[in-house]
Amino acid sequence: MPVWQRVYEELNDPNFVLICVAEDTGGEAVAGPIFDAAKPTYVQVVDEDHLISSVFNFVNVPSSAWIDEEGRIVRIDEGTYSKTHQFGEGDQAFLFGNDVYTPALKDWVKNGAASSHVQSAQIVARNIREHGINEMKADAAFRLGNLFRAHGEKAKAESYWAMARTLNPESINFFRQNLTLTEEGSGGETFRKLRVEYMEQGKDYYRPLDIKAS
Amino acid sequence: MTRAFGAFPELRHPFEVMPIHAAGQATVLYQGKKVTFTETGKGEGLLIKPSDLHSVNGFELKPEGVCCNDICIPLREGLLIEQGGKQWFDLVAFADLLGQPYVVDQASRVWSFAEVPAKRANMMVNAMAPDFEVKDRQGKVIRMADLKGKKALIVTWSSW
Repeated sequence: MPVWQRVYEELNDPNFVLICVAEDTGGEAVAGPIFDAAKPTYVQVVDEDHLISSVFNFVNVPSSAWIDEEGRIVRIDEGTYSKTHQFGEGDQAFLFGNDVYTPALKDWVKNGAASSHVQSAQIVARNIREHGINEMKADAAFRLGNLFRAHGEKAKAESYWAMARTLNPESINFFRQNLTLTEEGSGGETFRKLRVEYMEQGKDYYRPLDIKAS
Repeated sequence: MTRAFGAFPELRHPFEVMPIHAAGQATVLYQGKKVTFTETGKGEGLLIKPSDLHSVNGFELKPEGVCCNDICIPLREGLLIEQGGKQWFDLVAFADLLGQPYVVDQASRVWSFAEVPAKRANMMVNAMAPDFEVKDRQGKVIRMADLKGKKALIVTWSSW
């Protein structure tokens, strides 16, 4: 999150709004301190029910939408990293993120519709994932699970979270969110196995970023 | 023992058991809102007072139908139900009419409704961002409509 604060400060444009949304069932307890450490001046949302992922049909974090002054989406659903990061250490380490996203974002904020990074409505619509009856029902089940958790009803919470996962198996959000509430955590063996399975099946863990280094 | 990355097992079920609502009541989840009805009708669906409809999804009963902003859906059989001299609106029948998926826990009388598909249809055609409403950490409501006239980057992240 400090990286987004830096980008926001570098842009320093009153007509640009940055909204960072924490998809975290753990709520303020887990997302709050990370936000606070960044001393953010952008808009911060803790989204326990993953509402924003549902609005834009995202299945993973970080994902994003660029929205222009008229409310039109001009880029969507890309692994939204402001720079290259390393996850893990030694043999387990892998790099993720990139160094081309932030310059592209800055170009758009400066040049608007004239930016070469603005995509047509047709391309954007094509890049939005399908979110059919099952995926929508998965959202409803996930939220029901969260409500039961908040009311101490463990068995029901678990059962509706499992339903969400079954109805929307493409959602890495639901899968890893659940792992955060285990001893193993979201970056353990189960996650690594899923990531390998994804790649072996030729599926995008993130949709490839369609931005070339300038 | 060192805590694994993104591991918060103590947050899995940190809460005491407490009822979602009083006996005989019903609760609806919709787009981050939780609405509890103190009074409901009897039957298989979810029969609420017509005047409560607006608090759930912004729709209200008008002479021309069930309306929200400039959308009006003509009343159909099964939406309004008479019981013991009272009129009820069947929220489940309305969801079925709109093709709106939901998950219900009948034992607890909680209905969790997904978004109304028609509200998202434009996004898939002309890339217009759908309306949404979330609260920021200070409790301020952020709506899509409030972003008009500015460029916005909405980026999700997580502690995990």
